Amino acid sequence: MMFSKVDAAKYPFIKLASKLVEDFDQRLGLEVIASPGSDVLKRSVERIREAVYVKSTSFFREDLDVEVLSYPLALLIVKAVGDSRLFNLYAEAEKNRVFLNMLSESSSKVVALARDGFDWEVLEDGGKLKLKFNNYLEVAPALLDPYWKLVNRSLRYGYVEVSKRELARLIAEAFRSKILKRIEELDLSTVPGFLKPTVDMVRNEVLSALPKADINYEVSEFRPSALPPCIAQLLKDAEEGKNIPHMARFTLATFLISIGKRPEEVLEVFRRLPDFDEAKTLYHLRHVAGEIGSRTKYVPPSCATLRTFGLCVSPDDVCSKVRHPLAYYKLKLRRIQHGGKGKNAVS
Amino acid sequence: MVARAKTLSADEAFLKRLFRSYYEKWNEKPPKDFEKREFAFMMTKEGEMVRHKSFSEWSEVKEFLRRNAPLHVFYSSAYYLNPDAPDMDSKEWLGADLIFDIDVDHIPTPCKEKHDTWTCLNCGFAGRGMPPEECPNCSSKRIEVKTWFCDECLLVAKEEAMKLIEDFLIADFGFSTSEITVAFSGRRGFHVHVESDVVKELDQRARREIVDYVKGVGLAIAEGRGRVLIPPLTAPGWFGRVSRGVYEILSGRSIDELASSLGLKATKKFREGVELLTSSLERAEDFQALPSGLRKMWKVLVDKAVQEKRCEVDERVTTDIKRLIRMPGSLHGGSGLIVTKLSVKELETFDPLRQAVAFKKGYVKVRVHEMPEIRFLDDVWGPFRNEVVEIPAGLAVYLICSGNATIVKGGVRAC
Repeated sequence: MMFSKVDAAKYPFIKLASKLVEDFDQRLGLEVIASPGSDVLKRSVERIREAVYVKSTSFFREDLDVEVLSYPLALLIVKAVGDSRLFNLYAEAEKNRVFLNMLSESSSKVVALARDGFDWEVLEDGGKLKLKFNNYLEVAPALLDPYWKLVNRSLRYGYVEVSKRELARLIAEAFRSKILKRIEELDLSTVPGFLKPTVDMVRNEVLSALPKADINYEVSEFRPSALPPCIAQLLKDAEEGKNIPHMARFTLATFLISIGKRPEEVLEVFRRLPDFDEAKTLYHLRHVAGEIGSRTKYVPPSCATLRTFGLCVSPDDVCSKVRHPLAYYKLKLRRIQHGGKGKNAVS
Repeated sequence: MVARAKTLSADEAFLKRLFRSYYEKWNEKPPKDFEKREFAFMMTKEGEMVRHKSFSEWSEVKEFLRRNAPLHVFYSSAYYLNPDAPDMDSKEWLGADLIFDIDVDHIPTPCKEKHDTWTCLNCGFAGRGMPPEECPNCSSKRIEVKTWFCDECLLVAKEEAMKLIEDFLIADFGFSTSEITVAFSGRRGFHVHVESDVVKELDQRARREIVDYVKGVGLAIAEGRGRVLIPPLTAPGWFGRVSRGVYEILSGRSIDELASSLGLKATKKFREGVELLTSSLERAEDFQALPSGLRKMWKVLVDKAVQEKRCEVDERVTTDIKRLIRMPGSLHGGSGLIVTKLSVKELETFDPLRQAVAFKKGYVKVRVHEMPEIRFLDDVWGPFRNEVVEIPAGLAVYLICSGNATIVKGGVRAC
């Protein structure tokens, strides 16, 4: 399928878009393209504002060249602002835009985008679309719902059946990771001096509007009613003196330490275990707490790992919103403290 | 103590000599891109592992094996830019094969009652069969296990490997037989290697999805609050697999047997439910709604079907993208058997105590501590218990490597 300039403007991940940008760059150079007061610079800043305020960028039809060129420039400005919250927000907004745009495209167009943008192997088989499983696995594990788990998909001869909408969602997700990777790889020394006023302006304006902090797991309140079902179960098993496997002990210990318990306190939890050895257990606990040894503070395994090891038990509705037991705890804690449902903790 | 050390060294010298003779004639083909892999060796039973070796010529590998006659040989499933770098970060990971480990140790088999024993090192309590996680008497976890590999174990391991290869790797993941190699692990199972560009760069999360798929972890077919759908028998992936599994369970036995195997009562309602479900499965060409009132029965049947259709692999091996794995063609120092490379076709008829035997000539006099009856090559030997016997050299190697026998003085003749 041949792509047009409109496609390049809508879908910055296709090869034509990179080619157009390269051509302009060679002919005119960044200094001219992004000169103060230029349409490209204005549109770049607008893209970032849209990301921050409405979580999705729009599509500027009036001048396709401006639209194509404003994407890489926006990335450069985002990188120069240098806040990881903005990185995530911007990638998310661009993802939302391409996803919505793709919904109004034909199946064959979406397939062509997957092939051109990400070298994915997609088959059009009758009315069905089939995506090679390794391409599917590049992005599907990042999607939370069990619906996306490979085990719940129609997989045959190496291909996963997907609807047009699902393929669009996967492409959008792949684009999001690509943006984050590109931002990470961008070399700040390539940001020319004349962009500095713009970067400062964006930073001043945008920082206050960003979400307060990235998710961090620093919680320091122990509230049993906020514990995720897996941890509650492990705690109960330990208190009943059941012999629990190694992975379960590690999970329980790292969880309790992460929510602010001291190794000496956690020691009491393990006291009833049949093979309890005070000195050994304390040593391990202090080790995972980062007090001794490599000084790395260990965090509990993710939900996915807990599922694999059979430690995920009776997940509830909060579980479906998170992918880490500590994220569950934070979210539940906030809900309890605010009395209501609270906001979703995961962006 | 001195005498004990002496017998040990006689055993080790015997093994070293035979292992060396094996590697002198050794002519195995190199694994894919061997120069990008890390090699690791264990020279002696108690010694440390020699790691971070790499070879640019295959003849160097042969020379190394001839010269050192190691007890165990491993290579990395991963490909590295600098395979000999001493730490993992500077190795620079380029990709890895997809590996599955099927080990009878993790699969309950009825024959274990016959040949496997375990002893609690804390209180001496002992038993037969699969070892418990902890001693039922004193709750200690220090449990010593003595295991044997019989024809029944072999059959179970083979079935599991065939299921993995045919039902999952070929039918669902679409690999060709030329991308799949099987290796007898040298002890009680098989390693399945997939060498393909499709899997090479998959990260840990992706590999975990593959393990979960093979083990049926996270399957949501009978879950959910909404409408439950019955997949047609021919549906792809787990959908069709579950329906076929349920259908096999329903059609394979009498109504009373069926009810008791499911832990349900063979009431009139149960009978009608079975008929309804069977005919729905036979008729269906597309997903259809589960007839009302059968939700519980469907769930029980699906769980059972999943248990039968899932594949028991060790998830740690598959999700580890930097794993060391036994090199096919090398000897397993814990059994003296060849880690035999097999095609999918050869797997079916493979007999380790015939085809994986490295030393087929000569007899050796050993003191056997304990051994059940074993069929080795064409003869049956044992059972022996604390007695001096003259047995084939290969069987002696097998017993000495697994700690079940020692060479007696002057027991080694030409072999």
